[in-house]
Amino acid sequence: MDNVSVRSLKKYYQVHKKAPGLMGSLKSLFHRQYEQVKAVDNISFEIAAGELVGFIGPNGAGKTTTLKTLSGLLYPTSGEVSVLGYKPWERKAQFQKQFALVMGQKNQLWWDLPPIETFELNKAIYEIPQAQYEVTLKKLVKLLDIKDILNVQVRKLSLGQRMKCELVAALLHNPKVLFLDEPTIGLDVVMQKVMRDFIKEYNREFAATIILTSHYMEDVKQLCKRVIIIDRGHILYDGALSKVIDTYARSKIITAVFSEEPNLIKLGKIGEVKEYDYPKAVINVSRTHAPKLAAKLLQEFPIADVNIEEPPIEAIIREIFTDKKVKS
Amino acid sequence: MKWQKYLQVAKTSWQAGFVYRLSFVMWRVRVVVQFLAIYFLWTAILGNHNDSFGYTESQLLTYIIGTSIIRTFVFSSRSIDAQGEIASGDLSNYLVKPLNYFTYWLSRDISDKLLNILFMIGEIAIFIFVVRPPLFFPSNLIFVLLALIATILAIIMYYYFSFLVSMTTFWLPEENGWPQRFLIFVLLEFLAGGLFPLNILPPALYKIAAVLPPAYMLNHPLQIYLGKFNLQQSILTIIVTAIWIIGLREFANRVFKRGLKVYGAYGR
Repeated sequence: MDNVSVRSLKKYYQVHKKAPGLMGSLKSLFHRQYEQVKAVDNISFEIAAGELVGFIGPNGAGKTTTLKTLSGLLYPTSGEVSVLGYKPWERKAQFQKQFALVMGQKNQLWWDLPPIETFELNKAIYEIPQAQYEVTLKKLVKLLDIKDILNVQVRKLSLGQRMKCELVAALLHNPKVLFLDEPTIGLDVVMQKVMRDFIKEYNREFAATIILTSHYMEDVKQLCKRVIIIDRGHILYDGALSKVIDTYARSKIITAVFSEEPNLIKLGKIGEVKEYDYPKAVINVSRTHAPKLAAKLLQEFPIADVNIEEPPIEAIIREIFTDKKVKS
Repeated sequence: MKWQKYLQVAKTSWQAGFVYRLSFVMWRVRVVVQFLAIYFLWTAILGNHNDSFGYTESQLLTYIIGTSIIRTFVFSSRSIDAQGEIASGDLSNYLVKPLNYFTYWLSRDISDKLLNILFMIGEIAIFIFVVRPPLFFPSNLIFVLLALIATILAIIMYYYFSFLVSMTTFWLPEENGWPQRFLIFVLLEFLAGGLFPLNILPPALYKIAAVLPPAYMLNHPLQIYLGKFNLQQSILTIIVTAIWIIGLREFANRVFKRGLKVYGAYGR
């Protein structure tokens, strides 16, 4: 059963456009020019219960706008959206009790009070029974190891500690659907891993449907089997992360170790030499001709070792975003 | 229980209010200094005149003290922060929760007003004990009761009025909505009778000012207390205030719904 269903969703904004400089500011006092921005332009997708989907795209791609619409913060310009059978922007209490939105750069914790006060407040707001609250809080506190900071003023916590508390505050009501917008932004690599492990565990234990946006490909690689790639409001790809390589990679990487100094001009004819530091060279070659070019390399150069690899997923996705000819 | 969540909001708001002891003390000092300045200014203006502008000395000084007290009840407000939340996108935190944003801020406002009242009672008691101002007490206690009802209604009326001003930031988010709030509240202070009783104004101006909502927030409750309104006028004032509340509440709800349609949930 689908927990999230989006059909032909469009969200357009009117944005005030001001000419640069003081004169531009004066002109805009009397005559304002607006331009229409298509933040999300006719996207459709469905997400089944318990799925953990990565939503990736560059800044301004439409990821956050989509999440905001799914959370009921924005009214769509057109299209149909259903989350757990509800229209999100109607903001029914029964719907709100079943989902949560966590934004890496927005916090709900009361800045001047310890996090436990926000947890208590959320218990009242979500009308969580005392017994359930205690069990969930205990579990989340243990999973995220925050026992020692529950009574410390939020303003005195580190970013990583705050983010952990933000997650607890958002999950106390055991949401079935979770929207995570850049949950690891600004965190160091150790804390990023803690967050990732936690998200994976939450998805497994509560069978929660999760949509995750992140600029860190590591988050997506570690957590999501399925990705939706979005750019300029359009979905470019929706499918298995593993298939992104088969679908979009147009090159392979040959790493060669030479036993003698090779002729670099001749080597350049095999493919694009990305790195050269004798005895090692990294060459980008056409995907379709890779076996033939590897054989040629072995025949014509003094090779000690050779290795053929797929390009990293980060590079492929970067390629997708920079290549305007790519079609969905 | 629905009310329990708002009780918890009020309790949390109180806790947050107590965190910064120094700013809390400075804020109370500001209120007291402002009150004393206005009081002694009017004492100097009145001089040895027993009657001025149709008021006895005790009536006028009671009005001045009364505006300070009722201002504490009515105008003290945490909900002005709502405009910043709308402009910055922090409103999103509330919209995703099973929570009524109006009731949320009303709970915080009430908790804030209770805190104000607690301190004000002590401050006024000290002031009366030390300065011994000539105060006016109505001979008929019914006017005290009616003035109290009018003040409670004024609190609710001001709340919706203030919220409407906050909601202008849906369309005018510049400077977190402070330019329009400053302008509107300078007018409000004057039209509510915060500077002097409205019937000191020329009759034509008074007629207009007296029917506008701000007059019901400060001037009219005090006029009831001072016996300047008879019983019939006092009851009518209360009825009109109630009608204003219903109208402002309905209007605020509609504006909020319209505002949410243009809300961009900015900040990310």
